[in-house]
Amino acid sequence: MKIEGEHIFNGSRPDVWEMIRDPEVLASALPGTQKLNKLSDTDYEGVMNVRIGPVSGSFSGKLVVSDEVPPESCTLTVDGKGAPGFLKGVGHVKFTEQSDKTTHMTYEGEVTIGGTLASVGQRMIDSVAKSMIRQGFESMDKALEARLANKAGQQVEYKPPTEAQFAAGVAKDMAKSWTQIAEVRMIMYVIPVGIIMALIGYVLSKILTR
Amino acid sequence: MDRKYIGKSVKRIEDPRLLTGQALFTDDVHLEGMLHVTFLRSDYAHARIKSIDISEALKHPGVVAVYTADDFGDYWHVGPMQVPPPIAIPNSKFHAKGLPPIAKEKVRFSGEPLAVVVAENRYIAEDAAGEIIVDLEPLDVVVDMEKAWEDTSVLIHEDIGTNMAALVKQEKGNYAEAAAKADVVIKRKFHIDRGASGAMENRGLVASWDNRTQSMTIWTNNQAPIPLRNTCAANLGLSESQVHVITAFTGGGFGPKIMTSQADDVLLPWISKKLNRPIKWIEDRREDFLATTSERDQIHFCEIALTKEGKILGLSDIFYHDTGAYNPYGMTVPLNTMTHTMGSYIVPNFYTEVRMVYTNKMVVSPVRGAGRMYGNYIMERMLDIAARQLKIDLVELRRMNLIQPDMYPFRTGITGQDFVENIVDSGNYPETLRKAVEMIGYEKFIKEDQPKLRSQGKKVGIGVVTFVEGTGVGPYEGAKVTVEGTGKVNVATGIASQGQGHYTSFAQIVAEQLGVAPQDVLVTTGDTDQFDWGAGTFASRGMTVAGTAIHLAAVNVRKKILKLASKLFETPEDELEITGGVVRVADFPDKSISLGNLASRANPSRGVIEPGVEPGLEATAYYGPPYGATGQGSVAMILEVNPDTFEVKIQRFVLVHDAGTVINPMIVEGQIMGGVQMGIGNAFYEEMAYDEYGQLQNASLMDYLIPAATEMPPKMEIGHVVSPSPLNPLGLKGVGEAGTIPIPACFHQALENALDNIIEITTSPMSPSRLFTLTRK
Repeated sequence: MKIEGEHIFNGSRPDVWEMIRDPEVLASALPGTQKLNKLSDTDYEGVMNVRIGPVSGSFSGKLVVSDEVPPESCTLTVDGKGAPGFLKGVGHVKFTEQSDKTTHMTYEGEVTIGGTLASVGQRMIDSVAKSMIRQGFESMDKALEARLANKAGQQVEYKPPTEAQFAAGVAKDMAKSWTQIAEVRMIMYVIPVGIIMALIGYVLSKILTR
Repeated sequence: MDRKYIGKSVKRIEDPRLLTGQALFTDDVHLEGMLHVTFLRSDYAHARIKSIDISEALKHPGVVAVYTADDFGDYWHVGPMQVPPPIAIPNSKFHAKGLPPIAKEKVRFSGEPLAVVVAENRYIAEDAAGEIIVDLEPLDVVVDMEKAWEDTSVLIHEDIGTNMAALVKQEKGNYAEAAAKADVVIKRKFHIDRGASGAMENRGLVASWDNRTQSMTIWTNNQAPIPLRNTCAANLGLSESQVHVITAFTGGGFGPKIMTSQADDVLLPWISKKLNRPIKWIEDRREDFLATTSERDQIHFCEIALTKEGKILGLSDIFYHDTGAYNPYGMTVPLNTMTHTMGSYIVPNFYTEVRMVYTNKMVVSPVRGAGRMYGNYIMERMLDIAARQLKIDLVELRRMNLIQPDMYPFRTGITGQDFVENIVDSGNYPETLRKAVEMIGYEKFIKEDQPKLRSQGKKVGIGVVTFVEGTGVGPYEGAKVTVEGTGKVNVATGIASQGQGHYTSFAQIVAEQLGVAPQDVLVTTGDTDQFDWGAGTFASRGMTVAGTAIHLAAVNVRKKILKLASKLFETPEDELEITGGVVRVADFPDKSISLGNLASRANPSRGVIEPGVEPGLEATAYYGPPYGATGQGSVAMILEVNPDTFEVKIQRFVLVHDAGTVINPMIVEGQIMGGVQMGIGNAFYEEMAYDEYGQLQNASLMDYLIPAATEMPPKMEIGHVVSPSPLNPLGLKGVGEAGTIPIPACFHQALENALDNIIEITTSPMSPSRLFTLTRK
């Protein structure tokens, strides 16, 4: 499955780059991510617990940064595995400094998903993924804001969203988009919670591939 | 012939039990000390197994055992070919790859079992399965049939050096010569998908080894209990008499439940014997999609040659058939495609070639319709395209090419799934078409209704197609009929029942001969301790083959009754009658004896019997046809396409069928309606959606759309034409798949017609979005 998109960060390119290369921030953008352990400058290892409703599962994954041209571009490869299935993603990320001191980020790549993630979550992948990307960017925007403020000597605390807040956000976004799908028949409470979990895993790849 | 029970819509004897929840299904079997199993299945479609670490799972409280392929030692072996290769067809190539019960070294499709967890309950088993650490090295995946055929860079089975599972060519006459002489030659490519069986009850199996009696009892909803028993005994080194297979009530079979030598029936008996505990496995819905065989796509390159008047001169069809990762069920599906392509029509020259391909997908085995639908689809589609090109009415083009009633037996020259030439035994094709056209009011619709509806902006169209259904193939089935001292009649046959109404229709056949009420006939199917010869329930053969064996056995019991009563009453046999549970002298009804008393007399407990006399009123008989009986029919439907959403509503539906003698019209109509529902799914809703990595993307009933009541026509009008088959004494033909086969062809013709023929459909299934896309081209 192809992924692509863009986002504007309210900060300079070096600041954005610095943030992106900080595993703490990456991890905090996705609740449930226990930690992103730095194995080397380019290799990270992480575990993400996902717990929504009665279903839980954990993904262990590897993140490799390659083709690095700081602060312009890099390639991110994610390989994750867990009870809900597996995912493998390769993404190319580019940062362009804009005249108004903001940074324009574009990303494109390909993600392979397997197991329960693929076989049960397919119908909702697009809408949930979009929601999770949106929320992921929101928290990164806040993280960036906090970093820049701290840099300027102000004390601004960055608080990543909790798992519950995150899941609620996804559910809200999903409900919005579902009403637009003509074929949907029996939604809401019938939806296997695994689907949402699946998508969190999927988005893990996206966020990590940024 | 005046018949008392045959041909009557006797209410289903089994229904009160089914409807009040009193029937035993596999999951209703609860045994003391029973353990529960879950299979850990591969997420990857193609991978090398590097290691499987079960240590954490074993520590999980409540887990009794965890096994991987290596733990089964020498017991692990690749399963046999359940259907043999088509050696009867000259020059056919076939690379046999049986199914491993559990993956060893490599996985070849997503869903292939990697480990078995045995625990005190299913919850524990599932939790523990999540703790198994599997290290798989992903390999490149091939799912595209044409690519898999040409390109050997990804091999499903390295040892054969190709992804060719089989190559079979058959020709009747000479197509090339016919095409050279034709006024018109039309070529098209078709991509046709089918789908899952989607039975309401998933698969399941309980295996229970008893150390004291040294016997294995298996409850399962398999369609082939006797072959299952035989392979189980052979696998475990037991005598067949030590293994007892009971097929409980079953909520739909539709084909895939015929499969044996899979993880459940191979591994569970072994585990039960090893642990000396009963073991249960019930498939969940996602597993049903991933781990139960299905029927999927074929790609056809088809050519038809005609005269300008519309006479068919020849047909050529080269097609790819996806067999999935293994081919234990041989070539039944593509051979059925080959024998059903010419359909109801006279095709003097026919070339057919199948390229059966291995891919990283689930194994393909028959699903109701079993390959016949594809053949029907391309022929009917080609006729539609030809009719338009030649400016001949669609119905008229069909009518002028139909096989005529005086042409039987009609040899097709093509070898079928039973490895003998497909010969059409009987029928009246012009009559089924005439009747269907009349019932739907074709002329009036085309000339009056449709123009009116169009002027109101309505997109309403009509479709009319014909179909054949090869049924009742060999090798054979058997049955035992016994009149008990109680006066009740016992019938046992080897085939299994999945809801077809066998307990009623078989009882009607026996009641007809033995003069008892069908309610006094107790039918047992698929219990190997009751009857253990036969092949199983498949190919719409239950009634034709097992039903005929039951009839023959009942006739023999009737002879015994008459012979014995004749002696007792000192009256010639032809002056006796059997009715109301007694045999009596027709002219002196007081001279009578109940069948129960007669049966007791035939089974004395003291004294002597004449040499050579068999005890009781019992007979066993077998029946095997020389070739299958061919059913036929015509379908017509009127449907409306919503011009905004491209949703479709079927407004009228007519199916006229000829299944020879009908035992129970109500049951036959029910069979047809169920089949039609599957056909509607295949035409517009159902599809196994695999992505390029071999991941099934819609393994749930939320994403895999099975038509609901809302997608069905408001009413099905069913017409009967009866051409008894000369192949068996009752003139029977099967009907189990009739409803499914012709629907996509008819549905798509009607879609084109509804959309003013601005589109040409060559892909099945359609869907609202596909239809929309086509109209925008």
